[in-house]
Amino acid sequence: MPEPVLAPPVLTLAGVAKSFALTAALADVSLELMPGEIHALVGENGAGKSTLIKIMTGVHQPDEGTIRLAGTAVTITDTQAAQRLGIAAIYQEPMVFPDLDVAENIFISHRDQGLLMDWRRLHEAASSQIARLGVTLDVRRAASGLTLAEQQTVEIARAISLDVKVLIMDEPTASLSAHEVARLMAIARTLKDQGVAVLYITHRLEEVFELADRVTVLRDGRHISTRPITEVTPDALVRDMVGRAVDHFVPKAAAGPHGELVLRVRGLAREGVFTGVGFDLHAGEVLCFSGLVGSRRTDIGLALFGIQPATTGTIELDGRAVLIESPEAAMRHGIAYVSEDRRKLGLAMALPITANISLASLRRLLGKLGLIDRRAELAMAEKHKERLNIRTHSVALEVGKLSGGNQQKVMLAKWLETEPRLLIFDEPTRGIDVGAKTEVHAIINDLAAQGVAIIVISSDLPEVMALADRVLVMREGRQMGIFAIEDATPEGIMSLATGERPADAA
Amino acid sequence: MRRLVRWELLLLVILAVTIVINSAMSPMFLTIGNQINLFQLSIEKIIVALMMTLVIINGEIDLSVASMMGLAACAFGWLFQLGVPAGVAIPMVLALGLLGGAFNAFWITVIGMPSLVVTLAMLIGFRGMARILVEDRGITGFPEWFNALGQQPILGPLPLALLVFAVLFVILLVVLHRSGFGRKVYVIGNSAEVARYSGVAVPRVKALLFIASGFVASLAGLLYTARVSAVRGDVALGFELDIITMVLLGGVSIFGGKGTLWGVLLSILIVLNLRNGMALANITGHLQTGVIGLLLILSVLVPNLVQSARLSFRPGSAAR
Repeated sequence: MPEPVLAPPVLTLAGVAKSFALTAALADVSLELMPGEIHALVGENGAGKSTLIKIMTGVHQPDEGTIRLAGTAVTITDTQAAQRLGIAAIYQEPMVFPDLDVAENIFISHRDQGLLMDWRRLHEAASSQIARLGVTLDVRRAASGLTLAEQQTVEIARAISLDVKVLIMDEPTASLSAHEVARLMAIARTLKDQGVAVLYITHRLEEVFELADRVTVLRDGRHISTRPITEVTPDALVRDMVGRAVDHFVPKAAAGPHGELVLRVRGLAREGVFTGVGFDLHAGEVLCFSGLVGSRRTDIGLALFGIQPATTGTIELDGRAVLIESPEAAMRHGIAYVSEDRRKLGLAMALPITANISLASLRRLLGKLGLIDRRAELAMAEKHKERLNIRTHSVALEVGKLSGGNQQKVMLAKWLETEPRLLIFDEPTRGIDVGAKTEVHAIINDLAAQGVAIIVISSDLPEVMALADRVLVMREGRQMGIFAIEDATPEGIMSLATGERPADAA
Repeated sequence: MRRLVRWELLLLVILAVTIVINSAMSPMFLTIGNQINLFQLSIEKIIVALMMTLVIINGEIDLSVASMMGLAACAFGWLFQLGVPAGVAIPMVLALGLLGGAFNAFWITVIGMPSLVVTLAMLIGFRGMARILVEDRGITGFPEWFNALGQQPILGPLPLALLVFAVLFVILLVVLHRSGFGRKVYVIGNSAEVARYSGVAVPRVKALLFIASGFVASLAGLLYTARVSAVRGDVALGFELDIITMVLLGGVSIFGGKGTLWGVLLSILIVLNLRNGMALANITGHLQTGVIGLLLILSVLVPNLVQSARLSFRPGSAAR
């Protein structure tokens, strides 16, 4: 699919950079979108795709770099400005107003309707927008009854009704069925034929090769490559995504013999979420769950911890089948789950460090009357402050006032205090600085050495390679395979996770 | 926590100012007799406010307390008219309080409805039952010993209701600020999800609080009946607003997770003394209510203003 030689790009980003606090989310990223092209944007989790979209739609302002629209430099101050400039985005989770009908949803951002609604005109205009997409949909239906795919259609119609020049589709197919995916792709092609530039973000490489004219790879916030789809192979694409000269990985020394079998999972499934999960885990062993966003790794952790119990399958602990239907039950069995979301699920931010550390093991601090032994609680907090190197002048400080890395350590301390046999970490180093990350990794290795069985759910491939004894790869709720670390390569994991290689190849 | 200490300090200052001004207006003001009398006139609300403190810190609310007080009073009068001896009717009414609280707890913790909605419904429901039980009558003629419980001092100068208040205050103080249960109340008020992910049995804690709230309300309804020696369908009508005012003025966050019983005690003392002072200065009842309302608005507004001012002076802190 050769590019039209003379058509000027509709949108040009040059040297765009963006940092949050001390982390660079994007550095020197350039991107050109041509009218009438479908441009795929791929990269691992955390590669900077979302930040890039947010800059293009005016949610974030770039620290450096320029944005040109049809050759003219523009500043996109907010999402409305983006809309006025003809840049729109649709997301995995469409935003529709359930109580309004399809037509009202399509024209929700139009303000030139006068005092009274001309319903007939509204419905006719809506129908013609829908027709432009080459699909059929009754514009009088209430949005609440629409399927996810139909809601997306409404969002796209809304976008093109605003005379869109650039349409960003952010993982639009992540929750669609095969049939709906085909329909969405047809819509994307229709828009392309009408001269719209479509930026298509996806984790599914097969979609990239089926749909895109060109493909751009981001990694670690940097632009890696932009190539016509005809000049790139799936292997090359995966290599670009994983990048980082492979010899930079320091895989763990081949694991020595591990202890007793702690956990045996067979045929574990939760209806509509994940299915066919089975693995063994020994004392002192680290098993990493790898996969892309939406691969349902976290849901397995939540099932093992009883937050969202599995609906079928067996869990055996120390050779005995157990039912885990609540976090309390999981904790009684010696299971701990360190959540990925410190703020919402992990810590009571307004309470002091002491109260957060003792929370999961409060029972041990209670005297005869159910009163908390405050001296013991303080000693508990001080012990972990020393051991985990939590940097604070006082353990009476509110947890919310600590840095991310120190909050992570407090959360860890809370669970270490329960003396778990099976410890599940969900993204243990997300959003913390490099120093704290190294410390957390050392703690995890330490715990494994002490014989704790460990599961680490991580989107960070280098982290997986550094920590794991074995790697379990998930894709869209299915277990794709388990590697021993000696046999694992970032490319191998990635190609299973993206579906480039089928499950049976593992 | 530091914010709260400052809040309580502010309350203490307001209280001191009120007392100084009141004393200047009347030499009788600071006598023990007057102070006990002040308490006695609102004692039922005060007792319920103590329990309400825990409910609100837990991140919930119980709007049905005043209606439960009314229902308890009317149920007592109704049973008494049926010929049930007062000594038997009292435990029956307390059991009714437990039952009513359990009913609230069921809808909130098992069905998962918001407590605001459930207890608003029961504000109407309990009141309706109370009116059905006594219709338009006023019921009086309770035994002497029962009325004496509400009116006569039973320990030194203290009547029963004040003793109940003192005992309940100490118990709840220990439960909320020293026990494992109280810790869970705070954590849930902070974030119910964090509590659940830490193995806290969130529904059980909430249920216990609502059951206790129903029980305390029925006890307060009985104390009220004994104090006024009469029962009507509109007993304690609208009390829930005064009760919630006392709690919020005490620095308890309406969003849960923050506040102390000491703060609520201070706010109770302020409300009582302020009302007494205004009465001494011949300010009408309606205006008194207005002043208390103003205080409440300030109590919610000031911490929020301070916080947003602080946020805007710290660039970047609003970013997620």
